Amino acid sequence: MIKTENLTFSYTGLRPYILDGIDMEIKDGEYVSIVGDNGSGKSTLVRLILKLLKPTRGRVETTANRIGYVPQRSDFSGSGFPITIYEMLASYMKLLKIYDKRALDEILRLVGLEKHSGALAGSLSGGQSQKALIARALLGGPELIVLDEPSSGVDNDSQRELYGLIKKLNIEKGITIISVEHNLEAAVANSTLIYHLSGGRGHFCTPQNYAAEYLNPGGKENKNA
Amino acid sequence: MLNYDFMRNALAASLFVSILCPCIGIFLVLRRYSMIGDTLSHASLAGVTLSLLCGQNPVLGAFIFTSLSGALIEFLRGYFKKHTDLILAVVLSLSVGTAITLISSGKLHANADSFLFGSVLTVTRTDMILIAALSLVSVSALIFMYHSLVYIAYDEEAAVIAGVKVKLISYIFSILVASAISVSIRIVGVLVLSSMIALPVATALQLGKGFKCTLILSIIFSIIDIMAGLISSYYLNVAPGGFTALVSAAVLALVLAAKQISSAIRTTATARHTS
Repeated sequence: MIKTENLTFSYTGLRPYILDGIDMEIKDGEYVSIVGDNGSGKSTLVRLILKLLKPTRGRVETTANRIGYVPQRSDFSGSGFPITIYEMLASYMKLLKIYDKRALDEILRLVGLEKHSGALAGSLSGGQSQKALIARALLGGPELIVLDEPSSGVDNDSQRELYGLIKKLNIEKGITIISVEHNLEAAVANSTLIYHLSGGRGHFCTPQNYAAEYLNPGGKENKNA
Repeated sequence: MLNYDFMRNALAASLFVSILCPCIGIFLVLRRYSMIGDTLSHASLAGVTLSLLCGQNPVLGAFIFTSLSGALIEFLRGYFKKHTDLILAVVLSLSVGTAITLISSGKLHANADSFLFGSVLTVTRTDMILIAALSLVSVSALIFMYHSLVYIAYDEEAAVIAGVKVKLISYIFSILVASAISVSIRIVGVLVLSSMIALPVATALQLGKGFKCTLILSIIFSIIDIMAGLISSYYLNVAPGGFTALVSAAVLALVLAAKQISSAIRTTATARHTS
């Protein structure tokens, strides 16, 4: 369970706030997509949940002992860094104090990267990179995985595969998913709940209601709605 | 050459330095902090001049002053988040100012020039033991913190989420950088020290391997650079630091050329295969 109370944030600590008094509760096993315009505070909200940022006011509580994080690929300074997928995962395992290498092999198989474990992280395609980051997030058996725009820079076929994997983790392993989404079609198709952020505040709605209220038939947000 | 005590000391000390420098350098280069090496090597000169003023061991003085400068850089990073280059300018001014003032005062108990350019003649047995001890402690600390350092360089946020104490590790790392620099200035000198930290790593990076392999290749290139530089400088009667920097640049150029040629051969072979 993740609960925020009066969660308020700005980088200066002063108004205008990026997030202004967010009260939200996400139950275990949910798949929540956070949507909203550019600059609406989606990534800030998940960074506060991950405790990478300190709230200006309010608080975040989580019952998850281990949280996996899949960062935005554009934020990810991996390309050009001399590290193989296996090294990237093995080093992270050591940081989490996991010493069972079979867990690593099993996760590589689960995300379908077992044949790419020796490849350099920067040499992978967009879809494969995201899978590698999901594999890293899966180390240590997380109860919650937070993803920041998982489909950015990923082609359509790989997107389908990627969302299939995320959904599988949610349904079969019961992992709670919080995903910042620009891909509204994917948000509606996969989530159990949608959290819409606008003007520093947010509200939950079902994917069906969100689609009816905000989306045009093509999956694009209807700004006039 | 090996009949001389000073040369045996210099070769042994160089071996330690050639292992330690790329071990530190790979993390500095990959965090885009190569210029910290340059700043801290100038800070070490201030430490050397202060030690010579007080009649103390210059390597130890360099280590203490460089460690403090490294810690100061880490501390100031919190205040100059968007202008980290300014921090280097501040520490560089402070260090060079201290060194030049002390050297020009004429009150030093020995000549500081050998630390500027590096000189095998200055490596005493005591220095060699100190260099060996600092190198061993530093490499052991690096092995102990290896995975944390890899992740701080690769993806700092992921390291934070995994529970790595990034600030603490960064402070310890700055002490290790100080250690590498203070043990190296005897051999290569302050002015070209940053090349020993960055160039073997830059050369190894051209080969496009994983982290461990790149680290091992950096050490191999570093040993080649320093040993070739040291031995050649002995016969050419020039400062080892300067010549080592030239050898490092030449090895990098050779690897780049070999990479270009191999890529051209592969392209030709693929074109032939396709046609």
